[in-house]
Amino acid sequence: MKREALKALTNAHAWIGLVISTVLFIVFFAGSLSLFRDNIAQWESAPHFANEHSSTQISLDNTIAAIEQQYKIYMHDEVRIWLPNKQEPLTNITFAAQLPDEQHQDLDLLLSPSSNKIVGSGDSFDFANFLYGLHVDLHIDEFGKYLVGLTTLFFFVALISGVVIHWRKIIGKFFQYRKDGDKDRLLDAHNVIGVMGLPFHIMYAFSGLVFNLLIIFQISYAVVLYGGDQQALFKDAGFVDTHIEEANIAQPMVGLDKLMAKAKQDLGNVEFTRISIEHFGDQSASIVFIGKDSSQFSTRKEIRYHIASGQELYKTLNNYDNALRSGLSVIASLHFGDFAGYGLRLLFFILGIGTCYIILTGNLMWIEKRASKRKVNKLGLHLVKAMTSGTFIGIIFATGVGFIAARVLPITTVLRSEMIIELFFVCLFATMTASLLSKQSLFTTWLCKLTAMILVAVPLLDWLMFANEIILMVQCQRFDIIVVEVILILLAFACWKFSGQVSTYDTELQVNLPRQDLSNINVNH
Amino acid sequence: MWSRTLSGFILGLLLSISVALNLNLLLPIAQDVSLLIGLLVAFPIWAGVQVWSYSFSSAKQAWLKGTIVLAPNVVLSTILMMMGLSA
Repeated sequence: MKREALKALTNAHAWIGLVISTVLFIVFFAGSLSLFRDNIAQWESAPHFANEHSSTQISLDNTIAAIEQQYKIYMHDEVRIWLPNKQEPLTNITFAAQLPDEQHQDLDLLLSPSSNKIVGSGDSFDFANFLYGLHVDLHIDEFGKYLVGLTTLFFFVALISGVVIHWRKIIGKFFQYRKDGDKDRLLDAHNVIGVMGLPFHIMYAFSGLVFNLLIIFQISYAVVLYGGDQQALFKDAGFVDTHIEEANIAQPMVGLDKLMAKAKQDLGNVEFTRISIEHFGDQSASIVFIGKDSSQFSTRKEIRYHIASGQELYKTLNNYDNALRSGLSVIASLHFGDFAGYGLRLLFFILGIGTCYIILTGNLMWIEKRASKRKVNKLGLHLVKAMTSGTFIGIIFATGVGFIAARVLPITTVLRSEMIIELFFVCLFATMTASLLSKQSLFTTWLCKLTAMILVAVPLLDWLMFANEIILMVQCQRFDIIVVEVILILLAFACWKFSGQVSTYDTELQVNLPRQDLSNINVNH
Repeated sequence: MWSRTLSGFILGLLLSISVALNLNLLLPIAQDVSLLIGLLVAFPIWAGVQVWSYSFSSAKQAWLKGTIVLAPNVVLSTILMMMGLSA
């Protein structure tokens, strides 16, 4: 590649990195934690119900009857049931309850599988879902989803351009990390982690694009290939329509246990991940059992029955028998890291946090290069510094505070989850504001140290408040709390180490800048 | 930088759609497999064109070179679509 093209690409790489850095950092940080979404959900709720034990004899009929005793289930919405298992011993059911005047209210309930008694509200334990939402769309709904999609596209662009720039040295300087002397540690750290994690980054860039920007190709296919017939496209894409129109004739919702036994027989080796009932209480009602075959890679099985007649409406033993659905299922499995055990997810977590470090070093290199120039926009530089410290470290700090709040707030607190989310955003905006108004390096150092202490405080609080419950859970081989504590301690360690690096780096920068010409930092790859 | 970003974004998007459609119309394979192949190639093409666009020193060059690559693909898509309609 010509030198001019390489230089143009290097400048573009730095520019793209800076533009997408904030959103990308949030997405990767929240995504890394979301690898343990189920564990975090259990970490938050399980100590409150540690005495509940999973039962292998679950009766759907009894569960539904217990709900119907207290609520009138709204027919036009879907009833979803997550059966208890060894890790999650409570039955979780979501539905809309009919209220007077055609109103309805969404409910998320937790039931004891042995007594079918409602023991809590799923809405009270939403911190894991909040972090996942932050990863998916930054909690800005559709706009956020496309913003994250575009950020992922430019992350992909940064990856490809990074490989092209670094190509000649990608093998020879594979392990190069110049720790001492005046060599560039930031650049080496950026390159080493970037190259070693390259397959992981490519997988995440691609799968993230598929999740957030697939709609673009869906529209183009529907318009050009299918002449606007979206249903025909969905059919080819493996989406089977088994919908039955509402009959508006009342039908008791009984015989569900029989259908569940039949579903187990029909689907073979399967663990149900979800059960849904459509048109609850109507003659048209149908029930679908969705499960995963744990003996095969990324294989979803599903069967749907008409409840009144018991007639089978649809069955698939292999990802809807469609190559596109199979492909999407594989992409999802890779993205969520749910095809193996904790070891793989821990590796993905470390690589994810490593990516956050790449983003951080990218910004620091940009700041360093800009600071070395004679004509420098001081305000712009200060804003980038504030964005880097206030938002990057701030998001970790806010998450730590969120974990603390999720642990200490009583479960009877009204709008508990909403309070935790508000506290999260207050902390984030506070750190962003404080970083704008303070001396950057000092602020970053202390914020990192404070964040590390907050993160370490979470396991301490766990054991202070729920020692007996945690021991009981571990005895039942439920390790969610331990897993979450391990990842928080790892994060705390990373923050503490980084705080030391910031102060050292700042001191060296102050000493070296007047003598060192850093303007060619990027083209010297 | 913004102008090269725009050229890569638009040309990359159009080229990726065009190539995915051409593959779908040309490959004699099941429709679901064809849709999957289209999906697998589309995003890397889009990102690749974006990177290519950045490698030019001016936006004018990026638009020009990108259009030269895009044009035959669009022509092929049009021909294949017309052949499909007339068949």
